Amino acid sequence: MPVFKTPFNGYSVKFSPFYEHRLAVGTAQNFGILGNGRLHILDLNPSQPISQFASFDTSDGVYDVAWSESHDSLVLAAVADGSIKLYDLSLPPTSNPIRSLHEHTRETHSIDYNPTRPDSFLSSSWDDTVKLWTIDRPTSVRTFKEHAYCVYSSSWNPRHADVFASASGDCTVRVWDVREPGSTMIIPGHEFEILSVDWNKYDDCILATGSVDKSIKIWDVRNYRVPMSVLNGHGYAVRKVKFSPHRGSLLVSCSYDMSVCMWDYMVEDALVGRYDHHTEFAVGVDMSVLVEGLMASTGWDELVYVWQHGTDPRAQ
Amino acid sequence: MATQSAPPSNFSDQNPVSEVAKPASEVHQDAKDISPPSVFVNSEPIREDQVQNAVKFLSHPKVKGSPVMYRRSFLERKGLTKEEIDEAFRRVPDPTPTVSTGQPAEDGQLNSSKMQQQSPTQAIQPASNTPIGTVSKGGTSALYHLGWQQALLAVGLLAISGAGTALVFKKAIVPRLKSWIRKVVSEEDEDLANKTNSKPSLAEEAAAAAKSAAAAAADVARASQDMLISKNGEKQYFEELMSLLGVQVQEMKSMSNAIRNLEGKTSISGQEDHGFSLNNSKPPYANGKSDFTPSSARPVSPPASVEPSGAPPHPKSYMEIMAMVQRGERPSNIRDVNDLPPNPNQPVPTPSLAPRPKPWEVGQVQNSSNQALQSQDNGFTQMNGNNSAPWWQQKQSNNVRINDIESVDEYSAGSSGAQTIDRPIQRSWVPPQPPPVAMAEAAAAIRQPKKSTFQSEPLTDDQFLARSSELTNELQRVTKISESGGITEANGESYVPNTEIQTEESNSYVEA
Repeated sequence: MPVFKTPFNGYSVKFSPFYEHRLAVGTAQNFGILGNGRLHILDLNPSQPISQFASFDTSDGVYDVAWSESHDSLVLAAVADGSIKLYDLSLPPTSNPIRSLHEHTRETHSIDYNPTRPDSFLSSSWDDTVKLWTIDRPTSVRTFKEHAYCVYSSSWNPRHADVFASASGDCTVRVWDVREPGSTMIIPGHEFEILSVDWNKYDDCILATGSVDKSIKIWDVRNYRVPMSVLNGHGYAVRKVKFSPHRGSLLVSCSYDMSVCMWDYMVEDALVGRYDHHTEFAVGVDMSVLVEGLMASTGWDELVYVWQHGTDPRAQ
Repeated sequence: MATQSAPPSNFSDQNPVSEVAKPASEVHQDAKDISPPSVFVNSEPIREDQVQNAVKFLSHPKVKGSPVMYRRSFLERKGLTKEEIDEAFRRVPDPTPTVSTGQPAEDGQLNSSKMQQQSPTQAIQPASNTPIGTVSKGGTSALYHLGWQQALLAVGLLAISGAGTALVFKKAIVPRLKSWIRKVVSEEDEDLANKTNSKPSLAEEAAAAAKSAAAAAADVARASQDMLISKNGEKQYFEELMSLLGVQVQEMKSMSNAIRNLEGKTSISGQEDHGFSLNNSKPPYANGKSDFTPSSARPVSPPASVEPSGAPPHPKSYMEIMAMVQRGERPSNIRDVNDLPPNPNQPVPTPSLAPRPKPWEVGQVQNSSNQALQSQDNGFTQMNGNNSAPWWQQKQSNNVRINDIESVDEYSAGSSGAQTIDRPIQRSWVPPQPPPVAMAEAAAAIRQPKKSTFQSEPLTDDQFLARSSELTNELQRVTKISESGGITEANGESYVPNTEIQTEESNSYVEA
């Protein structure tokens, strides 16, 4: 059965880029208001229920997880106390975590690993900054401080190793180049907070933003004054957007309306799939890079679902 | 703009190493002239009308009282580019209290005029500071609203005091007057009784005087009664006013209750919910930040932003926990967890698997190997058209990958273990230029075999420069090798997995 029950409320789910059957889930106790956190490493078995490979407890909630693109056994957790914990799955649990990187002064909300320069990653935090790190260094390489409010999400460009975008509660998306001292582009994307941003894997100039205003907008950075497309359909704030690694025009989103939606922004009627399996806020969603069509989602109902696009998540 | 070696305004943290970035940036600027300008950079010219609007905005006295960050953020949300915002800030000088009035000061009048000017400007400053950041009309009407309320309060107070004095007068003073009058009259009678024979005229006079006094007192009493009546009338009017005020207060209370309920539902805390703020104007985050101070519990955190449709319904237990935390209680299920690394110097493990190619990269590989070499200027063409055909072919990519690793070894041996940061296979675009020395340590770690697993001591500036020049030379050399066609293209596959940090143990396992 493609469902796993976590003891705490789910916040983030990510497939491993190395193993098709492995995924990481970040959870936080008491809805992330106040309490511990736990990072689960789950294994999918074709004919058996989802099993847990390992789990790690943290003193504060885990808001986001990310797999290393360079080391198959490394996984990172963004913790609500502002730290980033690095875990090595090849070591026994008592030797973990192997790193705790604590520089943010507020909650760390998201981590994104660079797929094209695979030792570097970004952390976004409620202290209005984005920090650039590499695996080998105990301190951050750079801090990007321009946003006027919490940075909720940042995402590396899938083709340009120096370019990334950040989404913030100041209602703007900024495009940065790590070689430049400041942001290179400011997109005032929505009238309300922007919670998530992701690049199109097949067109490096296109990105999607999900906002509190319930809409998802598709932008082309070459003409960023007007969105290419506005995707409406969610009933509440859009918490996360993610472009498909396999189809250039497909993206998936999850929302506080408890649903996970699949969109094709090139098509007239963009909503191509809707999954209502969660009974609380759907907060995390991911699509597997290795298995086409495989997706996972988690939410405050403490459940993790893994299913193939087009099938019912609750079916066997 | 392609690059800026000395940008005018800078909000990001300046690492000390960024000072050293200048020579390196000049080095790579030459190389960069070859590449097309980045699309991730805003290349629009400055729009004069937007700048003028921004200047008008920034010159507004209320705006001048607000923090610079909020002004910038407002302009950004209006769609101004960085250059336009910087230009507007340049045109509007930052005023000081003495300069803003701009009067020519003469020595004799200098101090007095300054004092006079300072007080009104200082009066303006605090007044403008109170409605922080909200440059909307809601702020001004709130001020007027306050004034009206204050006036009402003053009237109410006056009425109360008038009624109070009337009551006091009625209850205390009038009876005293009456008793005094009675006393006088009774004394008169006694006097009369005692002195009827001796001095009747005197007594009469005294009686007359007393009577007139009594009459005067009666007049006073009557006057006071009239006053009382009028006071009563005022009192009634006042009571009507009070009732109206009471009605308004009730309405306000119900409104605030409703708001509190909404806030409570949507969590004053959780950035998770983005609940309502007390006024509808932007910037929403101003309320979030100014109203809540950091504390250990999450409730303090980010957005109390406005939500367009209304708050999403929260789980009941969520509300319970929120209420508990707001009362200061700690949920009982929290454990004390020590999540610190037991060995902070634990070495990073060696990867046992090569990074697998991404579906979008593999598609490009197959296309670029099938087609002729595209010109370098086409580096940013859309790949959608190319990839829509072969996306189902990606399942074959795994087979291709196995061959990759073997030929990768040959390739990397040929290039003497040097690594490139980006995949050089796509000869249709030019690999990005090496980053400036701001990341030299990272670059060094990436590109060169590490002598020790961890470098805890930082390199000196000289070493940075030396390394960066080494690296740029090496990168250019490698770029040339890849551009010249190299070994790999002949095999029909040209995917080279991404670089990594090379560890001592795995020198033979190299990914170029």
